[in-house]
Amino acid sequence: MSDTDQTGPSGPYPPTEAMLAEPVSPEEQERTATELRAAWEAPRGWRYFTAVNNSEVGLWYALTAFGFMLLAGVLALVMRLQLAVPDNDLISADRFNQFFTMHGSAMMFLFAVPMFEAIAILILPAFLGSRDMPFPRLSAFGFWCFVIGGVFVMGSLLFNSAPTAGWFMYPPLATQDEGPGSDIWLLGLSFIEIASIAAAVELIVGALKCRPPGMRVNIMPLYAWYVLVVGGMILFAFPPLIAGDFLFELERSFDWPFFDPTRGGDPMLWQHLFWIFGHPEVYIVFLPSIAIAAMVVPTVARRPIVGYSWIVLSAVGTGFLSFGLWVHHMFTTGLPNISLGFFSAASEAVVIPTGIQLFAFAATLIVGRVKMSLPMLWIAGALAIFTAGGLTGVMLAIAPFNWQVHDTYFIVAHLHYTLFGGMVFPVIAGVYYFFPFIRKKMLSERLGRWAFWLIFTGFNVTFLPMHLTGLLGMPRRIFTYPDSAGWGWLNLVSTLGAFVIAAGFAVFVWDLLRPKGNQKQVPRNPWDAGTLEWSHDVPEEYWGARSIPHITSRYPLWDDPKLVERMDAGRYYLPDSPHGHRETMVTSVIDASPELVQRVTGPTWITLWAAAFTGGAFIFPTFHMYPPAIVSGAFAVVCILYWLWTSTARPPEHDMREAGLGLRLPTYASGPKAVGWWAVWITMLGDATAFASVVFGFFFYWTARPDFPPEGALHATPGLVALAAGALVASWALTLGARHWNGAGRAGVARAALIAAPLLAAGGCAALILSVQALEPTQHVYPAVICALTVWVVAHGAVGIIMQLYCLAGSLTGKLTRRYDADLWNITLFWHFLCLTVLVAAAVMGLAPRVL
Amino acid sequence: MQDERQPRPDEERHEFREEAESLWRITLAPVAWVAHFVTSYGIVALVCAKAPGLLGMTRGGLGLATLLALAVIAWLGWRAWRQWDYRTTGDYTNARGEAEDRHQFLGHAAVLLALISAIGVVYGALPVLLLETCR
Repeated sequence: MSDTDQTGPSGPYPPTEAMLAEPVSPEEQERTATELRAAWEAPRGWRYFTAVNNSEVGLWYALTAFGFMLLAGVLALVMRLQLAVPDNDLISADRFNQFFTMHGSAMMFLFAVPMFEAIAILILPAFLGSRDMPFPRLSAFGFWCFVIGGVFVMGSLLFNSAPTAGWFMYPPLATQDEGPGSDIWLLGLSFIEIASIAAAVELIVGALKCRPPGMRVNIMPLYAWYVLVVGGMILFAFPPLIAGDFLFELERSFDWPFFDPTRGGDPMLWQHLFWIFGHPEVYIVFLPSIAIAAMVVPTVARRPIVGYSWIVLSAVGTGFLSFGLWVHHMFTTGLPNISLGFFSAASEAVVIPTGIQLFAFAATLIVGRVKMSLPMLWIAGALAIFTAGGLTGVMLAIAPFNWQVHDTYFIVAHLHYTLFGGMVFPVIAGVYYFFPFIRKKMLSERLGRWAFWLIFTGFNVTFLPMHLTGLLGMPRRIFTYPDSAGWGWLNLVSTLGAFVIAAGFAVFVWDLLRPKGNQKQVPRNPWDAGTLEWSHDVPEEYWGARSIPHITSRYPLWDDPKLVERMDAGRYYLPDSPHGHRETMVTSVIDASPELVQRVTGPTWITLWAAAFTGGAFIFPTFHMYPPAIVSGAFAVVCILYWLWTSTARPPEHDMREAGLGLRLPTYASGPKAVGWWAVWITMLGDATAFASVVFGFFFYWTARPDFPPEGALHATPGLVALAAGALVASWALTLGARHWNGAGRAGVARAALIAAPLLAAGGCAALILSVQALEPTQHVYPAVICALTVWVVAHGAVGIIMQLYCLAGSLTGKLTRRYDADLWNITLFWHFLCLTVLVAAAVMGLAPRVL
Repeated sequence: MQDERQPRPDEERHEFREEAESLWRITLAPVAWVAHFVTSYGIVALVCAKAPGLLGMTRGGLGLATLLALAVIAWLGWRAWRQWDYRTTGDYTNARGEAEDRHQFLGHAAVLLALISAIGVVYGALPVLLLETCR
């Protein structure tokens, strides 16, 4: 290749002190700042909503999630009013059911998880001195999906048709529920789960590949470690639920009996899939919030965190152990006691890493010179409440105690203590701490203290008595109770407390939203913190970092007093934008050595269109309107293809770019050096987990049911299954071949392979569909599972075909060349996973029935 | 890629080069815990559903699996302890931005994760040790 000598970085790295000390002339500073400002200019007027910048999308995301939280809080207040006195008839039983279902669902799916994503999108790039997330349009797409799905699900309350089966939607109650409630829950929230996975992909790639030069893994901010762990957890926790939703919706819409015991199904499968998601989810919510504490505590203690490695252990260890706890939500389902033992033991073990980080915070505060601040007050409240919730958690992990208090208000008290202490308080601490960074204004110290004491007191008045209410026997989710039960006064106390919490939130919301126009400009680093986000520009600039610094310690602002001045002068990397592009730096995973200047995408309407059509594809099926759903889905695919074609992996005008400090970096990468390749890898890991969950279902039925497969059942035609597997594997081989031939300069052969491969894939999908023609999925769960696997493989096959044709079109039009072959690398990676999926599915469909 | 063209500082010694490291490695001990947990739960669920009579033998087998898991974790922990090299360097925090610090930090984190994984495995073995029947 003629341009091989241009594909790697060249020039001095790391920069020497002499290089950094050399001043930048004022004219140069002025010129580069103007270039950068022009490239990152925010869209104005109506076009404001086309923004994809992390600072805008993150803010919208956070405000929307907070809005849903307030709505869900109002539902809680109405429920507390209904429960204030015995035999109350403020709202009907059915409305009460809708309210508690939506309170739980909204707090979890529309507030807690999106809030993590929102905050991470908003502040992670700043921690990393990065300009933006690697895929800004993906964040925007995820956000608009979240808005549409959230409004749809919450809106059902207005039509009195919200889901009523509780936030975990247990069948058979939820499967047999009349009206569209359960479908709204399933489709509306699946849609948001997919947005969550998109955010996880974005955040993982951001933390791994978009760190500033020199920020090795041992000095990256703890927040980035937590984001990495939580992103990984989302990839393994959400897909089982998506798989469960897939089976559930097939049962609701087409009567495939996955959870119907009269036809071989088993409601327990849903419980397993739901809680394999549901328990890690608690930690998915908790870890990023406690990560905020890990950033606030060193600032308050005015010293580096004590036990950095221990906190990393704590985050990673909790991430793993939290996947071994799910059955502790199912202790009363009649599983063998010895099985319960494993989960009881793991539930006790997870306390160790969870506790370690709290001790590390305490140690930091003890050895530091504490300068108390409002954020620290909220963190202190969080630790107190979370510890109390953790202690009842240890009690609940003991199976016999759990049997006693199962489904009582003791559980309600426990979960609110963990979630308020583990999530709500630290997040509010984060709002106070990061507000000067986000809005360049300060929140009121006085109002903040009022809000804290109202919420803290109100919280304990509401939920502390609930432990007793539960021990006295009050079950969850009853809409009223007789006077003779004797819980009346406890409920009245809880109701009064709930309104004190509400008063506290009213103060907080007022402080957040009140006009602050006349406030004087905030100092750049109001808390004297040591991490990179406090190098932000006041007044606001949209470029993220003026220049991307070289980092050599954990608290660069404390350790390198000249750093901010040099960043401002544009002394460091990428201080300019010679071609008017939005760019950020991509570095290596472990040591963050510079690899690439990545062009990032700018404002666009296409993400809104894509989200609207994706929304249609999920919302129409709720009302069994399939043709419009299919049309909407097709438009969504077209929008996404247009978006990818016009703005990703385009051949650059200039192969290399002067990145500053004498370093020359390439502007294009394919394969493992490209962020897109990492995104595909991570997405497919989640996809493989979902597929594994469906396969788990197959073997679950085999262990749990004596009639699986039933006597004399029809099987998938083995010959056709083998033919399908052969054709799809051949399609994979040709895709791999196309990448090889294209790289070797034989574009003609590569194009021929890309013509043959989709034909083979289509043939394979057709053979697989034919192989299950004789099966009646509504008769029994066995044919239903086989057909579900077929649907899964065929849907992925269709995506694979689109990808092959996309690359063929790229090759024919010059978007994809020998040198610029990132698309081909990415689709090959997809096909590796698809090939594995096909082999496993074929083995389950064709071989397993004979072996069992 | 042309390795000799990569910017590479002279002071970085060969053994601390980035390519030799992987973030995956610190998760190996927790993965051993996962394997032990899934094996224990899966086999016990299967035996209790299909052949409760075999539970005695299963418990013996899982005891061996526990010893195997602990041996693997101990070996990983020992390697990580050597990588951390605390006894020689006396550096507990590895807070500097040098390749050597990164190398030792990953060792330190892996030691701690091996420790927690070993505790997790022991906890997970207790039900097998203490309960004699499925019920």
